[in-house]
Amino acid sequence: MIKVINALLAIIGGVAGILVLYWVLNFLAERLPGRWEGRLKPYFYILPALAAIGLFLIYPAIQTIIYSFANATSTKWVGLKNYTDLLTTKDFQITLVNTLLWIIIVPTFVVVLGLGVAVLADRLSSGGERLSKTLIFLPMAISGVAMAAIWRFVYEVRPAGTTQIGLQNAVWTGLGGSPVAWLQEDTFKLNTFFLMIILIWGQTGFAMVLLSAAIKGVPEDTLEAARIDGANERQTFFRVVVPQIWGTVITVFITVLIGVMKIFDVVYVMTGGNFNTNVIAVSFFNQLITNGDAGKAAAIVVMLMIAVIPVMIYQVRHFRAEEASR
Amino acid sequence: MGKRKAIQRVALAAAVALGASACLSDSGSSGGGGGGGTKAGDKNVEIVFGFGGSQSKGFQESLKGFEQQSGIKIKFTEASQSFDTLIRTRVRANNVPDIALFPQPGILKDFIKQGKMTDLSTQLDVNKLQSDLVPGVLDAGEVDGKFYGVPVSMNVKSLVFYPKQAWAAKGYQVPKTQQELTDLTNKIKSDGTPPWCMGMESQSATGWVATDWLEANLLEEAGPDTYDKWVNHQIPFNDPAVKKAAQDFESLVLADGNVLGGRKQTVSTAFATSANPMFDNPPKCFLHRQGNFITQAGFFPAKVVADIDNQVGVFQYPGQTADSKPMLGGGDLAAVFNGKDDDTKQVMAFLTGKDYPGWSEQAGFLSPRKDYPLTNYKSKLTQQIAQLGQQATVFRFDGSDQMPGAVGSGSFWKGMVAWVSGQKDLDTALKDIESSWPS
Repeated sequence: MIKVINALLAIIGGVAGILVLYWVLNFLAERLPGRWEGRLKPYFYILPALAAIGLFLIYPAIQTIIYSFANATSTKWVGLKNYTDLLTTKDFQITLVNTLLWIIIVPTFVVVLGLGVAVLADRLSSGGERLSKTLIFLPMAISGVAMAAIWRFVYEVRPAGTTQIGLQNAVWTGLGGSPVAWLQEDTFKLNTFFLMIILIWGQTGFAMVLLSAAIKGVPEDTLEAARIDGANERQTFFRVVVPQIWGTVITVFITVLIGVMKIFDVVYVMTGGNFNTNVIAVSFFNQLITNGDAGKAAAIVVMLMIAVIPVMIYQVRHFRAEEASR
Repeated sequence: MGKRKAIQRVALAAAVALGASACLSDSGSSGGGGGGGTKAGDKNVEIVFGFGGSQSKGFQESLKGFEQQSGIKIKFTEASQSFDTLIRTRVRANNVPDIALFPQPGILKDFIKQGKMTDLSTQLDVNKLQSDLVPGVLDAGEVDGKFYGVPVSMNVKSLVFYPKQAWAAKGYQVPKTQQELTDLTNKIKSDGTPPWCMGMESQSATGWVATDWLEANLLEEAGPDTYDKWVNHQIPFNDPAVKKAAQDFESLVLADGNVLGGRKQTVSTAFATSANPMFDNPPKCFLHRQGNFITQAGFFPAKVVADIDNQVGVFQYPGQTADSKPMLGGGDLAAVFNGKDDDTKQVMAFLTGKDYPGWSEQAGFLSPRKDYPLTNYKSKLTQQIAQLGQQATVFRFDGSDQMPGAVGSGSFWKGMVAWVSGQKDLDTALKDIESSWPS
């Protein structure tokens, strides 16, 4: 009960506070002489948002960059040592390679599978389409930790001779193999791929929903025209449909890609970064929480930040181009 | 366009202003120490501790009688999820409790170095405690010849459990030396069963089971002096003695056919239930080394726990000779922040004294006192374990708990995992741990 009252008070107080703030800002702007009122008023209105971004985003980002040049407790400068230490250890190099594989493979599979499902579901009866889409969208509602918990049961291993409760090992031993600890199989990065499957499973629904909407938005007459001109189904799809939904494809790809760059929960829960499956975010967490090394943790984040920037720029450009062509 | 430029400039200016104000924090403030805690003589004492559930309940009940008798009111602050965070924050804020029970000596030593803790000789008769307690348990809280922490409860890890009934049927004998243990392992193997059960998987803490093995071996082979030097990094982490301890662990447990499921799978097997195949019929393994906590419900199968004295046997992980009985373990070290409070003194005297009953109703409690009556423990098995603890020739705290976090709960765990599962060879794994030691 007290919690409900607290929540209500917080909402009412927050809204009222913002109203008062804007009223005061507006009041101040109106005091300004003549033309200045019109000139400065927009900035008065944007000020709270800017201040919030400055305080919660820009300030910490700059502080992080500064800490990345300092020691573990942020009390002494160490120059580039955090970066060189990290980049010269083999474990971190493996971490970087893994992260790269994640950001190439996962978005690609998510888009291809999502597109495939969207196209195929489009041909079903409306009941069948709804059912299949709902099923494929379901994993989207599950958090990363829960996804990992579910998939632990798929990869679970029990000693030979006992009942295999893991799905994959049950099938594998059923076919005559001996039980394998799948998450430890690091030849050809097999275990990393097993982890990627989890995220692909979780994200395909998201791609499907957006791409399905885009496909339904493709004008019927362009398809008809292509068919009349003698194009087969494959040609119609690749030369007529895909170019028209390309914008959505790119948007989905990049959204998933940015999410994958920060992938943490699945890896942390499944392997904790052991068995050569580590990724940047888990490595960051370990440096900060287990090792208490704020310097190295900050250096990792800065590297991640630098890696995300080009993708962000591309996305913004792409978005602007889309806007302009409308 | 002009508008956008202006916004960019404002943002840039804000960023620069913020950046200019950002600087490095001061290196740890030099705390005066001594202050804090409840007021002296106000009949109030606060204790912070890091265990929860039935242990916490048992602990609070164990002090009820004392509270009534002495009129001292004890405030129990339970921090079972976040003892480290809580105690560090409170020390930083100079809002310390009177007494804290440290589950790991590492943080306690940090505070001792910062001058926050009270020398226990001002509170208790430390010399008498030396002879009353299991030898070595006080050393965990020792700095420069002074003692700062005394265990209220302890746990022991150099234990090997076995299925009593199946052993009797097979006629296996309890080994008294490492050699006899190796012989027994080979005998069980040649009888057609993998001798050992082991599981290392413990979510984000995976690896500690192997570090316990390595520590038990090092303590038993190289002796407490080398062990202490290794823990305090006075010898390199990858000292030859450490390598030998790891290799002996490898040949005893990890060798082909010696462990259920095989070497690699132990890393993916949950530690909590890894011993349970031992109680199958017929048993799938016959030996399991683990701390005394494993005898509680939730670890061993429920039907075994219900009949524990008939189902489970235990012996101490042997030393090189039958006379050498080194014990690896841990405990909750009671340490005093405010040494000027007579109430605190009384509580400490009770907690460490002969009449402190502990919470022996719970399977997780062992008293560190040599004169604690064994009949207080509920099960015969716990009595036997307690006896092994009391008879230990030397007691050492879990080494990884005493090392810096970056090693003790970081690279040491990860290194053991990489080595056991085959990602790294032993030399590389040990060398990587050595180079991860914070300077």
